[in-house]
Amino acid sequence: MNCPRCNSAQEHLRTEYQGREGDELVWTVFYCRRCSFTWRDSEPAESIDYAEREAWFRADPDHPEKYKHNIPPADGN
Amino acid sequence: MDMETVTLSAEARAVAERIRNLRDYLELLAEHGQCITWPETVLPEPDIRKVVVAAGRDAMAGPAIVFDNIRGYPGKRLVIGVHGSFSNIALLLGKPKGTSIKELFYELAGRWGSDKPLINRVKPDDAPVHENRVEADINLYDMLPLYRINALDGGFYIAKANIVSRDPRDPDNFAKQNVGIYRIQVQGPDKFTLLSVPSHDMAQQIRMAEQDDVPLKIAVMLGNHPAMAMFAATPVNYDESEFAYASQMMGSPIDLTQSGNGLDVLAGAEMVIEAELLNNKRCLEGPFGEFPGSYSGIRHVPLFRVTAVSHRTDPIFESIYIGKGWTEHDTLIGLSTCAPIYAQLKENFPEVVAVNALYQHGLTGIISVKNRFAGFAKSVAMRALGTPHGLMYLKNLIMVDDDVDPFDLNQVMWALSTRTRASDIIVIPNMPMVIIDPAAEIPGKGHRLIIDATSFMPPDPIGGDAKIVSPPTGPEIDDLAKYILRLQKEAEGR
Ligand SMILES: [Zn+2]
Repeated sequence: MNCPRCNSAQEHLRTEYQGREGDELVWTVFYCRRCSFTWRDSEPAESIDYAEREAWFRADPDHPEKYKHNIPPADGN
Repeated sequence: MDMETVTLSAEARAVAERIRNLRDYLELLAEHGQCITWPETVLPEPDIRKVVVAAGRDAMAGPAIVFDNIRGYPGKRLVIGVHGSFSNIALLLGKPKGTSIKELFYELAGRWGSDKPLINRVKPDDAPVHENRVEADINLYDMLPLYRINALDGGFYIAKANIVSRDPRDPDNFAKQNVGIYRIQVQGPDKFTLLSVPSHDMAQQIRMAEQDDVPLKIAVMLGNHPAMAMFAATPVNYDESEFAYASQMMGSPIDLTQSGNGLDVLAGAEMVIEAELLNNKRCLEGPFGEFPGSYSGIRHVPLFRVTAVSHRTDPIFESIYIGKGWTEHDTLIGLSTCAPIYAQLKENFPEVVAVNALYQHGLTGIISVKNRFAGFAKSVAMRALGTPHGLMYLKNLIMVDDDVDPFDLNQVMWALSTRTRASDIIVIPNMPMVIIDPAAEIPGKGHRLIIDATSFMPPDPIGGDAKIVSPPTGPEIDDLAKYILRLQKEAEGR
């Protein structure tokens, strides 16, 4: 499994939480450490399938300079 | 000016005294059929989104919806649409459901200007919000049924919180405490980003903390007294407390206690998340489906770490649907957007009758005014653009006469059809503009539109002799309209 938004490989993903009902695992929430995307594996494909997601909504963590700062950090980094 | 507590009707006083927190309000709404519990099991996505969008279609009467059976979140509760309709707002103000928007507007406008803050201090040990306290192994997913609001949001948002912060250079000063609404994206079990407009108090405080390398502590209040959500977004001066303001508008005390990190918080909140800014740390945030109905992009946004969580037993997570209008966001902030513009205009122009700035936080406004002479309404429009909210938001202004109810769009269309000349349409180019307006050519800058749809007045020679039909109006006709509805209901039941 890769990140649905930036296509980063498994090693960059983190498991956030597992929704359970009794002994049954219902879904898992993941987080991409590279692009900050959060998703649940039970969501519809339009939200979590890289191929189905509209291209505008992809993220490019290799080029962080593409994204504006809300408030630039005081230390300039 | 000498002002005091507002005079409330007996019904409004009874409601103001009864409602001290979210649960009291949900109970009141339920008694009137305005809060329902969803009977079926839902998946967090896409089921919740579908249900709340359907409920939000009825801006006049849609109910709040409690979800207590969410797959994978056993035992957790979520409520959406608490401020989702004008009937819900009416009940909060002590009016019957179905009360017209115009009447609600006058009720709120009448409460504006009271300067008696009613704050009731509660010891932390006695505050319901501190019934449960988590200080280690914090996982927000363990405490809140988090979900994706719009299908292409960048993550799971906490979208209806009131956030308390203090000036990091003057942290003991109560007067410099700020309560605002900012969108929060969960960025891990105990981390989140908080997006603030660069000119707002919170952004100033973040800059100060990072420049001086001092801590910035905040408290995120969730599931609040319904007046806080309605009024915390209203622009008040930096030295005024939003708590005081909310209590003034409700005409009843607000219960305040201390959070573990030393801020004033609502004693009856469902949850308070205490957090601190991670100085100079940023994280990618967005997109998020915002109130103009379009997604904002991705930005680097300040990151916070959760230090503790206090919550009531079995807390209710209050959320909101935001997106292409009409949504709960429009009902929530609509009337509290209208009231200050009206009050500020009235100071210079007592001829102003009513202000309807309900649409997308006032991107379109309709102002009714007693016209004095040709062109008068245009001057009033210019003044409206100079009010604190008008400065950034009032993009399209429609001016109508005092015989037109600006909240009745059929009447507004009548005025546009019969009283507008193309030469009464003014475009003011290259004006300041709210940055998330999707129509902007350059974010933050754009054009303003004024349509003067008021009648012709001397010295205007054209159309001055139009004789207007005056159909009967007033309480008698209002009562007849209600009587007709009753007859229709009876006819249906037969
Ligand atoms: Zn990613």
